[in-house]
Amino acid sequence: MNYVIALFLGGFFGFSLNKAGLTKYNKIVNQFRFTDMAVLKFMMTALVVAMIGLYGLRGLGLVKFPTVPNTYIVGNLVGGLIFGIGMALTGY
Amino acid sequence: MNWIIKQIHKEIWSPYAAGILLGIVGILAVVLSNTLLGASGAFENIAGMIGKAIAPQAFNNTYFKFVMPPGITWGVILLVGVFFGGMIGAATSGTLKWGKKDAVNDDSQWKRIFGPQTWKRWALGFVGAIILEYAAGIAGGCTSGLAISGGMLLVPAAFLFIAGMFGSGIITALVIYRNRY
Repeated sequence: MNYVIALFLGGFFGFSLNKAGLTKYNKIVNQFRFTDMAVLKFMMTALVVAMIGLYGLRGLGLVKFPTVPNTYIVGNLVGGLIFGIGMALTGY
Repeated sequence: MNWIIKQIHKEIWSPYAAGILLGIVGILAVVLSNTLLGASGAFENIAGMIGKAIAPQAFNNTYFKFVMPPGITWGVILLVGVFFGGMIGAATSGTLKWGKKDAVNDDSQWKRIFGPQTWKRWALGFVGAIILEYAAGIAGGCTSGLAISGGMLLVPAAFLFIAGMFGSGIITALVIYRNRY
């Protein structure tokens, strides 16, 4: 059952990425050139919607948060720095 | 109804609309399965499975035992869904190019910068993806797993990651595009 949910949610995940144009190289790299802000708009909208939804549901006591990703400043920052290079090269 | 069908056939949505859809998917992942939308971890799960079958000695370490246990995890199934979801998205907008020659290298901007050869696209994609996966391993997630899923739970790690990602991404784009910026 859990796998069915995963497949279903993954489908919508991929669909939304495709429709936002994030499966295209030029969308990703133009974000870093600041000629096309679609990536940032897409990410931030998703963040805001999910934040409001999740914190609202937790406030109502309907949902429990899963284990959150660990914060270790150097690792996250260095990982992000290397990740950006790959992202600008491939357009992932 | 007609309006909905027309929207589905549109190639590029407003990023806000697509973002709302992803936000809802993110909420549902937590509500229904109590997990986060991670995409890069799945590759490591699969790699762990292959590695265990080929060289169990080399893969018998802390990372593959505890951090990224091998196996068909929730994330692996999610990735299968992402693949087909993306394909459906392309099919509905009529841009799906299955098996056509040079379909992988149809980005005019990419060709302008790196040249028209298809093998270059493959090579750069491969190298870039290795860099991506390696970095995701260090940071503990990728754009979806850490930046978006972590960000929506207001985890500091997510924002550090986004800062790093944009910092080096901008510099890399500057280096690649130099005069053509």
